[in-house]
Order: sequence, then C-alpha cells, then structure tokens
Amino acid sequence: MNAYSKSPTLLQDNISLRPQHCKQDHTKARLLFFLTLALLLVLTAVFAEQLCPYDPNRQDLSAALKAPSLTHLFGTDRHGRDMFSRVISGASASVGATLALVAIISVCGSLIGIICAKTGGLFDVIVMRLSDICLAFPGLVFALALAAVLQGGLENAVLALALINWPKFARLARSQTLSLLRAPYMDAARLAGCRSFQLILRHIIPNIAGPLLVTATLDIGTMMMEIAALSYLGLGAQPPTAEWGSMMSNGRSLLQTYPWVVLSPGLAIFCFVAVFNLLGDALRDAIDPHSVSEHSTQKHQTTRRLS
Amino acid sequence: MKKRNIAALLCTVLFSLSLGACGQTDQASQTGQASQANTAETSSEAASETSSDTQKSLVWGDTTFNTMNGEPSIDPHADSGGWACIRYGVGETLFHFSDAMEMEPWLAEGYKNIDELTWEITLRDGVRFSNGKAMDANAVKACLETLIAKMERAASALHIDTLTAEGQTLTIRTTEPVPTLLNYLCDPYGCIIDVDADVAAEGIVIGTGPYKATALTPDTSLELVRNEEYWGDKPALDTITVRTISDSDTITMALQSGEIDVAYGIPYSSYPLFENDYTFAGCATSRVFFGAMNFESEITSDPAVRKAIAMGIDKNGFVDTLLNGNGYPATGVFPASLPYGGDAVKAKEYDPEGAKEVLEAAGWKDTDGDGIREKDGKPLTLRWLTLPNRQELPLLAEYAQSTLGDIGFDVQINNTANYNSIRQDPSAWDVYFSAMITAPTGDPEYFFAYHCLDRSGNNDGHYHSDELEALHAEMSKTFDPQERQKLAVQMQQTILDDDAFLFVSHLRMNMIAKPTVKGLAAHTTDYYEITPQLDIAE
Repeated sequence: MNAYSKSPTLLQDNISLRPQHCKQDHTKARLLFFLTLALLLVLTAVFAEQLCPYDPNRQDLSAALKAPSLTHLFGTDRHGRDMFSRVISGASASVGATLALVAIISVCGSLIGIICAKTGGLFDVIVMRLSDICLAFPGLVFALALAAVLQGGLENAVLALALINWPKFARLARSQTLSLLRAPYMDAARLAGCRSFQLILRHIIPNIAGPLLVTATLDIGTMMMEIAALSYLGLGAQPPTAEWGSMMSNGRSLLQTYPWVVLSPGLAIFCFVAVFNLLGDALRDAIDPHSVSEHSTQKHQTTRRLS
Repeated sequence: MKKRNIAALLCTVLFSLSLGACGQTDQASQTGQASQANTAETSSEAASETSSDTQKSLVWGDTTFNTMNGEPSIDPHADSGGWACIRYGVGETLFHFSDAMEMEPWLAEGYKNIDELTWEITLRDGVRFSNGKAMDANAVKACLETLIAKMERAASALHIDTLTAEGQTLTIRTTEPVPTLLNYLCDPYGCIIDVDADVAAEGIVIGTGPYKATALTPDTSLELVRNEEYWGDKPALDTITVRTISDSDTITMALQSGEIDVAYGIPYSSYPLFENDYTFAGCATSRVFFGAMNFESEITSDPAVRKAIAMGIDKNGFVDTLLNGNGYPATGVFPASLPYGGDAVKAKEYDPEGAKEVLEAAGWKDTDGDGIREKDGKPLTLRWLTLPNRQELPLLAEYAQSTLGDIGFDVQINNTANYNSIRQDPSAWDVYFSAMITAPTGDPEYFFAYHCLDRSGNNDGHYHSDELEALHAEMSKTFDPQERQKLAVQMQQTILDDDAFLFVSHLRMNMIAKPTVKGLAAHTTDYYEITPQLDIAE
C-alpha cells in the first residue's frame, strides 16, 4: 500500500507539487546555429587565400618548428611554414574536395536510383547487383586500391571515393521512388499526360529530396574523414598542397616532440566533421518531424505524460 | 519494447556465460587429464626454467629488414639479403674493414697478389660453419661459384675466371685485372655460407658468424641463437630476436615502451625523446642523399637546367634544419673522412640569383607571369622521383620544391614505394633522389661502376661521358691506391662539372639502445651491427 492509494487528496497534492516543464522545440534554432557554423567553414574555405596571415607554402627554415605564439597562432612546421595559414589554406582543399565528392555521389547516385526504379527490368538488375558488389567491399579498402591504381592526387582520391560511395544514394533514391510510384497521385499525374521526365522532375525529386539531403549532409563528415585518410596514406593531396589529412601524415613523427604540427589539422578535421554531423541531425529533425532525435522525443513524451 | 530488449540482453549475457563456463569445464577436465602426464615432466621443466632464468636475450628492431628494401631473407646470394646476413652476425666475409676503413683479414688470414690476374687467399684455420662443417677452400669455392652464378652484380664486379681450392688455400683467377677484388669480397654478398646445406625456403642460410638463424618470417622477425661453433670470442648473448618494424614512428614507440632493446632507423626528429636515458651508437657514413639527372628528358638534358638545379638547393639549410644536424653538406660523392672525398673536389655553390641568370641566358623565361619559366612554349616542370623509406627524402623533395620554385621551376613530386619500376622508365621522371652508401667496398670505383658508366646497372638516367669512361678504364687497370685516389677525384669532378648528379648531404647514422645494452658500436660501412661483444646487463 502506498501513499497514493491512501488519500486521493495527497495524490493530487503530489502531482501539483511536481514542476511541469513544457520544453520549447529548439529544432529550428539548432538548425540555424549549425547552418551558420557550416556556412562559416565553407566561407573560410572559399576565402582561404585572403584569410591566411602568411603564404601557406612559404618556407623559412630559420623559423622551423616554432611553438604556437602570437606571431604564429598554431606554430610552424618542419619547413618553417605557418601552421595557422596552412590549416586555413587546407580548408579549401579539404572542404572543397569533400563537398565536391558529396555532390557527385548524391546527384549521380540519386539519378541512377530513380532511373532504375522507373525503368526496372534488366537495367535495374544489373545496376543494383553492381551496387551490391560495391557495398560488399569494405569501403576504404576498396578506395585505397582504386586510388593506388589511379595514382596519387586529390582529384583521383575524390574519384576513387565517388566510385565506391554512389550505391548508398542509388539504393535510397530507388526505394523512395518505388514507394512513390505506387501512390494514387502518381497515377493521376500519368493520366493527366505527364511524361516520365516530367514525372521525375515535378513529382519524384521534390518528394524524395528531403531524405536524400539529410543523408548527404550526414555523409559530409564521413567523406571528409575518408579523404583525409587517403591523404594520410599518401594517396590524396600531393605536396605542397595543404590538406588536413596529408598535414597530419607529414607531421606524425612529431606527435611527441612538436605536437602542434599534428594537432592543429586534427582539430580542424574534428570541428568540420562535428559541425556537419550536427547539422545533418538538425536538418533531419527539421525536415522529418516523425524521426526527431531520441532526446527530444523523450522530452515530449515526459511533457505529455505530465499533462 | 524496452522490457523486451532487456530480456534479450539478459538472455545473451546468460548464454555467453554458460558457454564460457562450459569452456572452462572442458579446460579443467583436460588439465586434470594432463596433470598426471605433466607430473613426470615437472622436474625437467624446472631445470629448463632455471637455465632460462640465466639466459641473455635481446630484441633488435630494424626499419630496413624488409622486402621493400630488397631484404626479404638473409641469403647473401639473393637481392640485398647479404646486408641482413652480415648485419645480424650470421655471415662473415673473407676480409672486413676497420673503423678507419682499412681492409683487414677476417675469415682469411692473408693473401698474395701473384700477378694482375691471380690472387692466392689463405683461409683461417679452425673456422666452422654453424652446422659444424669446416670452412675450407672447397667450401669457399663452392660459395663463390654459387654467388657469381646467381648474382649478376657480383659476377660483373669480380670477373672471376677460375677458382682453385687446395686445403686452406683458394686461388682466384680473373678474366681481367680487378685491383679491387678483395674490396668487392667485403661486400655483404661476399658472406661465406655453406651452400651444400639446404637453404630453407624462407631464406635461412648457414654462416660462420657469432649467431645462427633458427627461424625467419619475412617482414616480421628473425630468431638467432648463439653459434656454439664460433671461432672468435664467445658471443655474449644466448638469443636475439630481430624484429622488422618498417614504420619509423612505430619503432620509436617500440623502444619507448621497452618492447625492443635496440632500434635502427629512428627518425632524426624523434632523437630528443631518447637524449637523456638511452645510449646512442653513431658515426658518419658514406651514405649520401643524391639525385641523378635524366639525360633522356627534354628538361634535364639541357645543361643550363641541370646547372640551375645544382645552384638552387641550399645544402646547409637542409642539413641544419631538416636533418637536425645529423648530416654533413656534401660536395661530391664521398665524405670528407675519405682522402678522395669532401673538399678534394669542387661543386657549385648555392646561388639562387645565379641560377636565375643561367636559366635566363638559356632562354627559360617566365613569359606569362605565373612564376614558372617557359621555353618554346614548354613549361619548366621538373618531375622529382623519390622514395618514402627514408623520412628525410620526401622532406628534401618538398624543400627543393620551394627553393627551386623561387627560381622558376614547377617541381612535381612523385614520392612512391614503387620507385624501382618507375626509375627504369626514363620517360617517367626528370630527377631521381635516393640515399646510397657510396664507398661500401672502401674503394672509390664502386659508385662509378654502379651509377655512372654506360654499362652501369643503376645508370637509369643514361648519363654518358667519354672522359669518365676513359678515366674508369684507367682506374680499372690501376693497382696503386694513391693513383686510384687521384683518378677518383678526377672522376668526381667530371660528373660534377656535367651536373649529372647532385650530392646534397652525407648522413650520420645512429642506433639507439636501452642503457643496459653494452658493446653496441656503429660502423662507417653500416655493415657490422650484431657482434660477439653485443651484450645486455642483467
């Protein structure tokens, strides 16, 4: 027997004593915040040349391996190059390559998926089995082999990663399109005389763009890590191009003696990946209210129970 | 939903626990069954434990003992396996070099130069291979015959016509005068091994050195035990494990963690980590960072371009900063420690402004203002081929990219482990930078014979000089050491005047060891590492 069963009055009192927090939905604010941060990162990449306090490739051996100071915020590397300038300059290579890669795989993959769903038949079977083959390999290992065959270079690294990452978008777009094609309004559109091209452009793409956009945004962080990994292994950016992964690779033997040479590009990768992952989360919550993050779902459930 | 998840989790945990318990029960029952059998062995195990307590073992870490470096095994007749054979104390040569680079008898006791073509070598008495077989002239003859049959490099250097064995006397007759025959026999490929014993599939050979190999896993490890048959001082250690750790950062951490006792190949930038509590065994070597120009290339076949490159690299800056002072700016092929090295020759000084003038005069001008010079519409692009197995080579490439960039070059670096196949394709590179020991035989002829002549196997840039060919022809007939030294100076000057090769820095090598390691000494040749004197304190 507990206190609530003893007295209904006490129960009501207890309930009235509980604080009732009706939390506001911060999804839009979060989205705006991370969108601003992401925009700042992209702008840094675009205006890297103007933002660098020193020439990122200018060597000065007399200033090699200087610790971070007011003159060199992130210190200098073995060739006496300013690390802060190289990190900013690296943004244009790293961010540019990442965004280009995500744009390529999301656009190409989605179009392939839509066409597969729309045409079906042998073409669909061949393309989907091809995507199965790509998905069956560990992605980075496959990319390593491809990049090695294509020889080093940032463009080749992007190409290698694009060749193995398109199936994710193709499958997503295909499944979304297939479910849409069965919708009654699609039949209506067809009866109204819409051609296949118009159907895809007017009715399919606008309806599947949401999940594809969220997936693409969430993928930016992963792709950045994979480009950095290829560069770290010497298959990405070639010297003297400042790229965060290759900068970490070049400085790895200095981790214990001159840690700033490794930590500054590492920090840049961490910030970039974190911002774009959080932006992806916020975007998903904003676009698809049914799949809001678990944290906010729990809060809403608590509020509903209390009320 | 949550309850279901918890139930599933509990079931999984219980299932795993029950499996673990079954495993333990099985193990326990197996242990029980075996216990009786083990009782009989207890006393012998105890005895062996006592002996293992007193055993002295050492773990040696090396970044170079690997397939990429041509050392997949310790077979001196295969690739560069001789380096591992001699370094790790498995094989010995007939003669060796003192610290002052003077040739001394080792497995031989002495020699007589009967005439220009005939050498009579007297072998040391009482030397046995690690399998107990006596090392006599017949065994050495069989070994050298196998060597010249298997290795073209050795055959073309030794020019052996006939070998005659009688007791402990080996007579070598050459097809042409080879003044440096004994020097070439000091090369690691000259390790004397028992070729009648089967060479194990993994490349284990039977030598005469202080240690014998018992197991070899290529690119992983080599197990050595004391050679009880050794003819010299008793080797101080019972067992040695040589571990291949190709990554220089990994070997740094392995030494820090105590996983290895001695490390060969720690990068210069990590030296500060060991300066206080570890022992350094180092010396200056004839290993040089040098570049070979490609005479088949449209760019580097232009003498002005080669001259500008020679004038455009600041050797002092590279040594002081990027090598952390662990080197010596190079003038020519050989280091200053050799009588025909250092300032015996003259090279072009670092003069970027002078280099610009040389290029301007040759018609290389920056017409479009992009910082890169052009001539007849062709940009001054320099394809710089190098390799990653020495960390400082890519650093040099990046450094040169900047300094030559200031002069008007567009340097494109190809830093690849696949350098061996690329350098053999003259259309794929303009400059090839590597690191080589230039006087491994204690004689100047080696470098020219392998890199600079029409018949040289490593003359990938197809350099040709009538003058050099004539000087080499003279050297190959000259037995007088003083005369050979004079010729060496002239030959160096010839290749420097042609800017066919660019020598940047000679290196100082260091092995770093725990303070408990004793008897560790570095040698100028980089050959002799594991010796009978190598020891470790209890």
